[in-house]
Amino acid sequence: MIPLEAYLVVGALLFAIGTYGALVRRNAVVVFMCVELMLNSVNLTLVSFADYLPGAMGAGAGYAILIIAVAAAEVAVGLAIVLAVFRARRTVNVDEINLMKR
Amino acid sequence: MTVAFVVLAALTLLAGLGVVLSRHVVHSALFMAASFLGVAGFFVMLNAPVLAGFQVLIYVGAVTVLVLFAIMFTQRPQARSFRLILQRQHVPGLLAALGLGVFLAYVLAIQDWGEVSPGQGPRAVEDFGALLLGAGEYPDVFALLFQLGAVILLIATIAAIVISRRRREEDEL
Repeated sequence: MIPLEAYLVVGALLFAIGTYGALVRRNAVVVFMCVELMLNSVNLTLVSFADYLPGAMGAGAGYAILIIAVAAAEVAVGLAIVLAVFRARRTVNVDEINLMKR
Repeated sequence: MTVAFVVLAALTLLAGLGVVLSRHVVHSALFMAASFLGVAGFFVMLNAPVLAGFQVLIYVGAVTVLVLFAIMFTQRPQARSFRLILQRQHVPGLLAALGLGVFLAYVLAIQDWGEVSPGQGPRAVEDFGALLLGAGEYPDVFALLFQLGAVILLIATIAAIVISRRRREEDEL
């Protein structure tokens, strides 16, 4: 039997990898991918709690579904914003986009 | 079981590192799909095959395709050197991420979770649907959250269309 802590540590490490990418990458699309990785690691943690904790009644799985829905909404709006910024600026590097006006 | 866990953990974490460190943006997207597949495998191991199906459909299918579309629309000449893909604060970023990872892993590992055993969650699709709608013995709040999720998806669809629409004055630029 695999202990609960093993799943939690994998989730924590995936979250840290996503944080690293979101902090250091320049390309806004890659930053979005790293945010998706972080959301996925939270989903993994929630589902492992739902499966292992007897008092949880599987609530983590329900929250995981909601996170998937919100993440889908977030990626749709976020990539639309990236497209709009690219049209105005001809770049998607987050360190070159430092003005909100044109 | 242990072998499957190790293989899935290696797939998920190495593909996650690939997303961050690969020089080509399309490679990052494909690594991301591999990492999502690893998480889907974890969902199967955690007795949540419904969630694994959703994961494959929504993340490996839809989100990856959406990201690939965004990459195609915003493609530019690729960075030749590794340093060009990173921001200037990459060393503090690495330190912050390492600290966060060690802290989270330590806290989650030393915490006493009490009596735990696998197989507590809703396995059948029927139980899962009841959970999502807050029916039966499941908490009522999920019914509200379910409807809020539907509204959020509708608003996001409209917002994505409005934001990414090409306006007339932009055509003349």
